[in-house]
Formats: sequence, C-alpha cells, structure tokens
Amino acid sequence: MGLRMKIEGSESISLMETSITGVRFGSDIPHDSNARSTDLGSTVLVEGKILAAVGGETADDTSKIAKWSLVPAENSDCYRSAEITVISASQIVRQITIPNAFVVGYEEDFSDETGIGTFRLLMKQKKDKMRALKFEGGFGSE
Amino acid sequence: MGFTLKVEGASTIELGTTSITSVKFKTDIPADSNARSTDMGSTVEITGKILTAVDGDPFDSTRQLGLWSLVPAEKSDCYRNVSIEVIAASQVVRKYSYPNAFVVDYKEDYGDAEGIGTFTLMIKQKKDKMAQVAVEGGYSV
Repeated sequence: MGLRMKIEGSESISLMETSITGVRFGSDIPHDSNARSTDLGSTVLVEGKILAAVGGETADDTSKIAKWSLVPAENSDCYRSAEITVISASQIVRQITIPNAFVVGYEEDFSDETGIGTFRLLMKQKKDKMRALKFEGGFGSE
Repeated sequence: MGFTLKVEGASTIELGTTSITSVKFKTDIPADSNARSTDMGSTVEITGKILTAVDGDPFDSTRQLGLWSLVPAEKSDCYRNVSIEVIAASQVVRKYSYPNAFVVDYKEDYGDAEGIGTFTLMIKQKKDKMAQVAVEGGYSV
C-alpha cells in the first residue's frame, strides 16, 4: 500500500509513499457512554522515515512538520488542512481530509545504527469542526 | 469460522466472510456489585480487513463504517440495526442482533508493508434498550 500525506497552511508539506510507513485513523468516543455521545473526536497517527537528501536533491519536508508542531496556539497557522491518501492497485482506498488539523504529538528518532531517522506525527481535528472532516475513498486514480 | 456483518440504517452496510477476521462479544456488568446489577451493557468488537477492489469490482463497505462512526449524536442515524452471524460447517453458531447500536470506537490501520488495511469497530447497544438484544444460534444456514 502506498501512503501519501499533504498538509496545506502557510506553507505546503508533501510526503510521498517513499517516506510514510504507517497511518492509523482513530475515532475518540468515550467508551463508557450509555448512548451515542456528542463528545466526538478524531485522531490520525502518521509514521514515516526522515530521508537524507543525496545527489543535490532538496531535503524532504519532515523538518517543516517539526516546525508546525512548534507553532503556538495564538497563531492561526497552528491549524492546517491535512490530506492523507491510501493507494493500492491504482485505487484510492481512502482519502481522509482533516481541514482544521492541529498537532498533539510529534517525535523524531535518530540513532547511529540506522541510515534514516523516523518520525511520528499525531494530529487531531479541531473538535468543534468535526463535521468538516471528510472520509472518502473507493475510486480509481492515475 | 466465517463471520458476516449487516448494518441497517440510512444505508445498508454488508461485510462478508472475506473481510471479517474476528468478533468479540462482551457483556458489561459491574464486577463489584453485591447482587445482580441492573446496570448492564453489551459491547461487540469486530476486526477485519480493508480490501482494495481490483478488476472493476465494487469497493467493500468499510468506508461506510468510518462514516457511521462520524455521525453526530444529534442525528437519529447514529443508531443502526446491526446483526452479526457466526457461521461454521453450514451451521449458524451465533446470531447477535443489536437493534439500536451505536459506535464507541472505530480504527483503521495502514502500513507500507501490507497489501491491505485493517479496521476495528466497537459498538454498543443503547443502554435503555438492552432488552431488545437477541442472541440466537444453533440452526443450519
């Protein structure tokens, strides 16, 4: 499966299937409710590789994600539009659009044994804008 | 063992034996009660595969499950009629019916090493409608 992520805000961040290794879409609903709760949230976890640029090509956009994770809440740029696409056999299995995403967790891991670093980005949709979240898929691509 | 899932609401979601990998049925009763408690609940967890359609086949209904998990509580469509069948050797071992089921958890997992994604759906019956939950089984298909 190929996984792609695009983030639009004051700058554009784009990571392709060569970088991203895992995506987890989860819904945050209280498990102890007796009936359907109005307290509905959505979390997306994206894991991937931090690749070193070789042969004079430009560096990947992971450093921009790190900078986004540091944008203070006072700045409107902390909310960005994220689009995650899952592609398999020329079909778009999922296209999840999170129009008002903010970062709740960002980690980077490096070690002297591996040639690449890894990152882990945890995003949430702004809770009062849950209705704007788009959950599409099941159509052809390319 | 094969599992089938049918969710009926504004639209019908059907998933068959090729998609569903496991079903967990659980009754939620307070473990610390001194006598039989009236505070009873029922939870079902369903895990399965998110398959990619090839050769022009229609896509599976897993996306509809994701959309159901996003229906706000203000809409009556958040409660749907769910029936789950456990089939083995042409026998229906269990048939669970949840007439007013709602989603408490929905997860999807994708990796670059696998050809398929996986999903986990957790549903509950509306607690005041617990009497309507039916568990049948032990008859041929």
